[in-house]
Amino acid sequence: MKRAGIGGLLIAVPLALALLGPLFVPEQQTRSAPFMPLGLLGTDFVGRDAWYQVLAGGQTVVLVALIATAFSYLAGVPYGVLAATTRLRLVDEVLMRPLDVLLAVPSLLVLILVAAIAGQGLPVLIGVVTLVNFPDVARLSRAAALEISGRPALEAMRMQGESWWQTSIVYTGRSMLRTLAADVGVRLTAALYLVASASFLGVGVPPDAADWAVMVDRNRGGLFLQPLTVVVPALLIVALSVGLNLVFDRALRKVRT
Amino acid sequence: MSLASYTARRIALGLVQVLAVVTLVFLLVQALPGDAAVALAGDNPDPARIAQIRAAMGLDRPAPERFVEWLVGLPRLDFGVSLVSGRPVADFLSGGIGPTLVLAALTLVLLVPISVLVGVLAALREGSLLDRALTSISVALHSIPEFALAVVLIAVFGVQLAWLPPTAVGADLFAQPAVLVLPLVVLLARPICSISRLVRAGMVDALASDYVRHARRLGIGETRVRFAHALPNALAPAVQQVARTTDWLLGGVIVVEAVFVIPGLGTVLVDAVAARDLPVIQGLAVVFAVTTVAVNLLADLVAFRLAPRAEVVA
Repeated sequence: MKRAGIGGLLIAVPLALALLGPLFVPEQQTRSAPFMPLGLLGTDFVGRDAWYQVLAGGQTVVLVALIATAFSYLAGVPYGVLAATTRLRLVDEVLMRPLDVLLAVPSLLVLILVAAIAGQGLPVLIGVVTLVNFPDVARLSRAAALEISGRPALEAMRMQGESWWQTSIVYTGRSMLRTLAADVGVRLTAALYLVASASFLGVGVPPDAADWAVMVDRNRGGLFLQPLTVVVPALLIVALSVGLNLVFDRALRKVRT
Repeated sequence: MSLASYTARRIALGLVQVLAVVTLVFLLVQALPGDAAVALAGDNPDPARIAQIRAAMGLDRPAPERFVEWLVGLPRLDFGVSLVSGRPVADFLSGGIGPTLVLAALTLVLLVPISVLVGVLAALREGSLLDRALTSISVALHSIPEFALAVVLIAVFGVQLAWLPPTAVGADLFAQPAVLVLPLVVLLARPICSISRLVRAGMVDALASDYVRHARRLGIGETRVRFAHALPNALAPAVQQVARTTDWLLGGVIVVEAVFVIPGLGTVLVDAVAARDLPVIQGLAVVFAVTTVAVNLLADLVAFRLAPRAEVVA
């Protein structure tokens, strides 16, 4: 119970800042010299108020991670189920073998390469993070669906002449839900990790964007002058990932016991 | 299945994987918009000049031809020539591989004993305060992005307390080991968590298994039961996880090199992508792919040796 409390608190602060923060950023901002002790946290590398950048910068990290996770499930689950339920072994192999190759490439390498090809922009970032997460989701759903399709209940349903919709989608889908739900936390933290690391390396978002990870990268030069401009966004990202892990781990334990 | 036939099958799979990755990378790099000729032509691209550079570099030849030529050169460690500087790609690789190798090797050397120790300690005191504390910490630290952790550590230990150098700019990694402390801590944080949890889970399962109960009934000493019988079985999944973390390690190394300004392969990669230096990118991708596949191969074989009964997924 205590751990969920800490985790909840750790998530609440960055999440509130990310979602509500942009509302509190004034339209007109004055610029001053870089890394001056003005405002709450000082100014950033181009002289903007770092506190307003923090308020505005959480949105992209959180939303991209959420959307990319959703997409990898939308693509990965049908893919895995298709591979598991097909009668032809060849189809299964053709679907799953390429994923082994994809898994053999370090994910940040994929990210850097694809982003270099496709250019910058949030859709690209969402696409790449989806691509990196997709093989894991597909493998997991294939394994889950395979286990379910061997159950006596499903064989009985088939013999009774239940429709494909009833057996494959309704029954299998419902039975898989638990396995997939248990995995959401892992996927979400992985997506968050990738999005933040990519933004830090300057992949996917413009270099002056209001984004926590970009702030960490860009304001590093002022670490000695205004350490808070770097440490605050970094700590927000740390809090978010630690909190997510603690909360999902807690939820997982509850489901299991 | 015997170890020999398993090895043969696993090596065949590894070769296919390497070939597939190498092909994929070549195709991806072909798709990069604007090749090196455009980059070299500079701010004022003149089509005639770009065509001239292309012809000089052999970029105007069909892609399949260049692919075959490149592929043939790989076993001889001939990765081609950098388009930007004209130096052999192998030079870039050998220049950057030193620091990266030092980081990766030190990480692995520290990672295995620490995470096994933590995992075994937690498992032997299952449910105790120590176990719960270790588990909570490892759950919490598990997925912190390296750069965020690195920056926080630099701010605290490098800037505020000034105990350790904040970056490795201009430092010799061997002459000043202090510059390696923070990078290593950052690189170790994630893998230690995941591997010690696996060791703990495996050890808890093994200690509750029938064969351990039987060994105890036979009167075999507790130390021997724990470390000669239970531990090898508990390690098999962890060994495979160590291999999976090389993926993280490579990614983490790219980030850590960027944060701490270490001139390793990650830095070479980021620079090469920025400069559209295709042969260097391809060479690096080959090195990364071969390393990942080879480490996975090795781990699967070790896991197979440790627990031959276990179904090892190829």
